[in-house]
Amino acid sequence: MQPSDPTAEPGSAFRLSYFLQGAIGSFSVPGCVLMATFLGFGGLLHDVGFPIGAGLLSTLLIWALPAQVIMVGGIASGASLPALAVAVCLSGVRLMPMVVALMPLMRGRRPNLWLELIAAHFVAVTMWVEGFRLLPKVAVEGRPSYAIGLGAGLAIVSMVATWVGFHLSGSLPGPLAVALLLLTPISFAIMLVRNAREGVDWLAIGLGAALSPLVANTPGGLDLFWSGVGGGTLAFFIARLWKARQA
Amino acid sequence: MTLLQSEMAAILVVIVVGFLPNEIWRVLGVLFGRGLDENSAWMQWVRAVATALLAAVVARLLLVPSGALVALPFLLRVGAVVAGVAGFLLVRRSVLAGVLTAEAVLIAGAWWLGVGN
Repeated sequence: MQPSDPTAEPGSAFRLSYFLQGAIGSFSVPGCVLMATFLGFGGLLHDVGFPIGAGLLSTLLIWALPAQVIMVGGIASGASLPALAVAVCLSGVRLMPMVVALMPLMRGRRPNLWLELIAAHFVAVTMWVEGFRLLPKVAVEGRPSYAIGLGAGLAIVSMVATWVGFHLSGSLPGPLAVALLLLTPISFAIMLVRNAREGVDWLAIGLGAALSPLVANTPGGLDLFWSGVGGGTLAFFIARLWKARQA
Repeated sequence: MTLLQSEMAAILVVIVVGFLPNEIWRVLGVLFGRGLDENSAWMQWVRAVATALLAAVVARLLLVPSGALVALPFLLRVGAVVAGVAGFLLVRRSVLAGVLTAEAVLIAGAWWLGVGN
């Protein structure tokens, strides 16, 4: 991949009209679900006393709710910052294959590294699902701008939801306040089931959840690290043995 | 939370602990994506670890809840999530249906138990 060169034809440039179309495309059912989950994240921020400005920034910059919840929840439970960075890094690995798979649909006629990096920043589960649904219908030269518009639209809606959730949390009556906070584990659980296709996925879900209470209170706040790496590695090898035996 | 009383410290943490270790994977995906074999053993392991990590996050949110969730009995927290997954599977694999089912179970349960009133 070459960086953008100044002689590139207009095909690789940013196009405002496609950007706006993409932003409009973000108002959809998946966009609503995303909004609900970020309402829950705003509630979590309020619940643990995380400053709202930094919380909004985390939605824009991290743009991956599992990583945000790991970071905010970990800080609240007193985990060490290096341990949290490791856990965030591990949770982000799943973004790479998503970017790789979606990138061919987000490139214009000519590669433009900056537009690609910005478009890739917005890749997360919702963008991945919506990108595959919407981008094939967009003219090739407008795809980078459309993808960035779609991502920016989703991010702005999510930031508004984060802010609203934060301020609702303190004023909602009891049952609704807990409903707000439970949005995060609910949406994560459904996402896990939706993405599980093979035996190894179900094993990883089961082992990761089962190991979590066993490694709780691990020194250094590394419990997520151990249940993730331990559970995932176990699931990986068990699935391999299984396949080898069947073959 | 004493560490993060100041907004600036929290912003710094968001960038260094959250943004950078997460964003690196997106950048790598753009730079080296073309040569990547999605079905290699390495990628399969990476996906398994990411899945287990997310499951552990869910388990921890349910087992060691924070704030207002503490008021709910453990069985209601888990029951609501299980109901959400069931709603998702039964209603055309719709995420929205799953979320609404779980929330309905949770709010009904919390109201019946008189939580937070």
